[in-house]
Amino acid sequence: MRFIATLLLIVFFSSKALAGTLSVTVRSTDGKPVQDAVVMVYPGGQPTRGPIAFPWPYRVAQQNIQFTPFVLIVPVGAEVAFPNLDKVRHHVYSFSAGNKFELKLYGHEENRTVRLPTAGVAAIGCNIHDQMVGFIRVVDTAYAAKTDAAGVATISDVPSGSVVARVWHPYLRAMKNEKTLATTSVGNGTTRETMAVELRPQGGH
Amino acid sequence: MFNRLQTKLTVLYAGLFALALSLVAVTVYLAIVGNAQQTVRKELTATGTVFDRVWALRTQRLQDGADLLSRDFGFRAAFATRDAPTVESAITNLRQRLGLDLAFTVSVDGEVIGIDPGQLDLEKLWTALDGETGAQGVFVVNGAPYQIISAPILSPNLTGWIVFAARLDHREMQALERLSAIGLEAQVFDRRGQAWITDSITADTPRLAVFVDTAIRDKAGKPSLLKGKAGESLVLVKPLKSLSSDGAAALVLRYPMALAMAPYRPLMAGVILVGLIGAALVAAASWALSRGLARPIMALDDAARRLQRGETVHVTVQTQDEIGRLADSFNHMATEIRDREAMITHQALHDEETGLPNRRALEREITTRLAQVVPGQHVVVSATGLDRFTFVRSAIGYELATQLITELGARIGLISPETFIGRLTTSTLCVVGTHDDVETTLSRIEAVLTGLEAPIRVRGELVDIHMTVGVATTIPGGPDAPRVIEQSMIALDQARAARRKVMLFDPVAYGDPSGNLSLMSEMLEGVANGALFLNHQPKLDLRSGRITGVEALVRWKHPTRGMMRPDLFVEMAEETGHIRALTDFVLTQAIADQKALRAAGHDVLMSVNVSGRLIDDAEFADRAIDLVAREGARVCFEITETAVIGNPDVALGVLDRLAAAGIPVSIDDYGSGLSSLAYLKQIRADELKIDKAFVLKLEAGGKDALLVKSTVDLAHSLGMKVTAEGVETREALALLQLMGCDLAQGYHVARPMGLEPLTTFLEGWSIDLPGDVEGGALKQA
Repeated sequence: MRFIATLLLIVFFSSKALAGTLSVTVRSTDGKPVQDAVVMVYPGGQPTRGPIAFPWPYRVAQQNIQFTPFVLIVPVGAEVAFPNLDKVRHHVYSFSAGNKFELKLYGHEENRTVRLPTAGVAAIGCNIHDQMVGFIRVVDTAYAAKTDAAGVATISDVPSGSVVARVWHPYLRAMKNEKTLATTSVGNGTTRETMAVELRPQGGH
Repeated sequence: MFNRLQTKLTVLYAGLFALALSLVAVTVYLAIVGNAQQTVRKELTATGTVFDRVWALRTQRLQDGADLLSRDFGFRAAFATRDAPTVESAITNLRQRLGLDLAFTVSVDGEVIGIDPGQLDLEKLWTALDGETGAQGVFVVNGAPYQIISAPILSPNLTGWIVFAARLDHREMQALERLSAIGLEAQVFDRRGQAWITDSITADTPRLAVFVDTAIRDKAGKPSLLKGKAGESLVLVKPLKSLSSDGAAALVLRYPMALAMAPYRPLMAGVILVGLIGAALVAAASWALSRGLARPIMALDDAARRLQRGETVHVTVQTQDEIGRLADSFNHMATEIRDREAMITHQALHDEETGLPNRRALEREITTRLAQVVPGQHVVVSATGLDRFTFVRSAIGYELATQLITELGARIGLISPETFIGRLTTSTLCVVGTHDDVETTLSRIEAVLTGLEAPIRVRGELVDIHMTVGVATTIPGGPDAPRVIEQSMIALDQARAARRKVMLFDPVAYGDPSGNLSLMSEMLEGVANGALFLNHQPKLDLRSGRITGVEALVRWKHPTRGMMRPDLFVEMAEETGHIRALTDFVLTQAIADQKALRAAGHDVLMSVNVSGRLIDDAEFADRAIDLVAREGARVCFEITETAVIGNPDVALGVLDRLAAAGIPVSIDDYGSGLSSLAYLKQIRADELKIDKAFVLKLEAGGKDALLVKSTVDLAHSLGMKVTAEGVETREALALLQLMGCDLAQGYHVARPMGLEPLTTFLEGWSIDLPGDVEGGALKQA
């Protein structure tokens, strides 16, 4: 397995010369930057074959009765850790199809890991604390990133050629909370794209 | 209708009271209506507020239930994992526990669990649920409005909604109605398209729908009045939140005014009842009052009417007020009018001097009696004339003469109390009686006349009285009152003319006064056409036994009335002035007849009657003298001494001229009438004719014979010849011859006859006179 992954990596790097960068700015309809929007790029419209690894930790901590980070991108099959940094106990669950799990009450400094086998979304909540909501976007592409506070997500080393790019946000008002970008190809250098999305208002919950 | 004072007053008072009561009733009614409306408005508003609260509470309850379920981990797990049977059982459980009508879930994907999606407009519902967290409002499910409560299902993100629905049906509204203090009616209307509809339909629903539409559009938050088929009602429209953006719903609270007015109905009935009783009392009271007021006035009115008809009236005075005084005055006035009328009537019907009933009263009495007589009875009117009244009056004075008449009237009244006595003229009393038989009545009058003529004592002196009575009778349908009185007066004249004491009216003798003038013109025609002619009555010379003269007597054979009595038309001719023409005719004809006789060998003296009225007519004398002289006639003028000579001086002149012309004058009918020695002295006549009244009774001897004898002697002494009239027997002829009478005329000698018979008569005349005429022996006797 590792061999194959290494091989793929070599292939990847070998083709480095034929790659570009996609920078997507996501704004709400009123012009404000939208944070935590996930941009996913599928070169040639195909999911990535072989193992995928992202440079950030696959971890959602519970801190100050919040999930941190709010949105986490992990590859399919990744083991995600749920360390409890609070003094209270939490009961983390996900009813999302394919990524259903339940971590019954566990306390401070305890760590639980859950493997997320299905590409999609795992909406996580705490059965004790209703206000705790987090999302793990399980992707099947290596080219994914989430927007920062300025609403910009930058994905480097995207193989040149035709691509299918999508933007996902937990509150995006669209089917499956996803929208497809207008960009259909990436060349050498940086391709810039801006997208306006409508977000569902989140009040009280 | 209002001709009566009483009615007027009653209607006025009762009407005023009724008007006042009506105003009170209307005011009370308006106040009640206002009050009731106010109460209902308040109640509706209060109920509206209560409804708001109830609605909020229920919403909260449902919301709480929905929230509870939506947070349940197991439910969320089941819902998120699409465990439909578990989800359905969970909501069914909750639905039953909360007593909900409907409970179901809608996923964000539009999947529905717990209800048949065909029963609702899923897209609209989804949009509404998605549009607002915890959306709620009225939504139509399966054609009926429901109150919808929703809660999102977060697991932890939004995966769907749990929806609770309570049906807003009649039952639900009844629960609301029960909360209200007043029995109002609650209905939910919801708009579908343009129409507002409701599940409980009444007759007023269409009207109400329009009303709701207007109220929603105007955002009217206050109750207002709606006029429906079942009467007025106050309606409050409260808009309800609708779940769908294009829908609308409203809660309609309605309260019929009739219901609000119901508690006041006894009060209104009481007011009306009291009003009616009051009006009846006022009507009765004003009727009674006005009757008291109007009764004397009605009595006065009635009395005035009766007074107008001439009845005797007296109004009973009941009160001391103005009406009482008016009645008093009225009674005085009525009495005065009555007295005055009686006086006027008395004056109108009575003679002022004597106090006896006058002619008008007599006429009235006769008319009254005529109306009462039974067949066979007559009303007898006797004009009783006091003879020579003017002499009596000038003798005893007017006053006593009047007293005499009064006394006489009283005397008749005593004798015949059943008669009615009045005064016709100054000297004539009139007695009206009713009798069965006229002849008997006449006899009775004659019988009582003797008693009546007894001297009357006037102021201590006895006065002789003589009376003549003219009687006329009538029957119903006969002559009327004025006519029969006139006839009695004529009868009186006739009686006096005939020198009788009592005489029944002789219509034949009287003829027709109105026809007198025409009779005269007919007489003049008769002169022309020979209807008038002469008959001659021979006069016998008692000394020679020869007929020496004839008296020409006029006769008239009227074409229609036959032979007319000479005294009738001659007298009439005298009265009407036609005597001149008649005398002219007679004279002319007599002269002509004399000529004829002369031609036959008979020379007779023609005696022509000349009315005393013509003696003072110089013109007539001239004409007569002229005629006689021209014809060479031998004529004698017989002057009726009864005729009044108007102008004696002229008359004497005329007689002188007649004498100068050789026309002898004879005094006719001497002894009757106004014969007086002065007359004989005044008129120088050649002949005196003794009235037949004396001659007829000559044979009986006595006074008449003496009178005739002395008259003959008197005449001879004055140089007049004497002719005796009415000689009807040989004995009378003999006596007259003995008395030295010169001529005799009468039936014993000859009746009057026409010219031809006269000629024959004269041819054959011979008489053997009783005395020796030639011898003259008697002449000495």
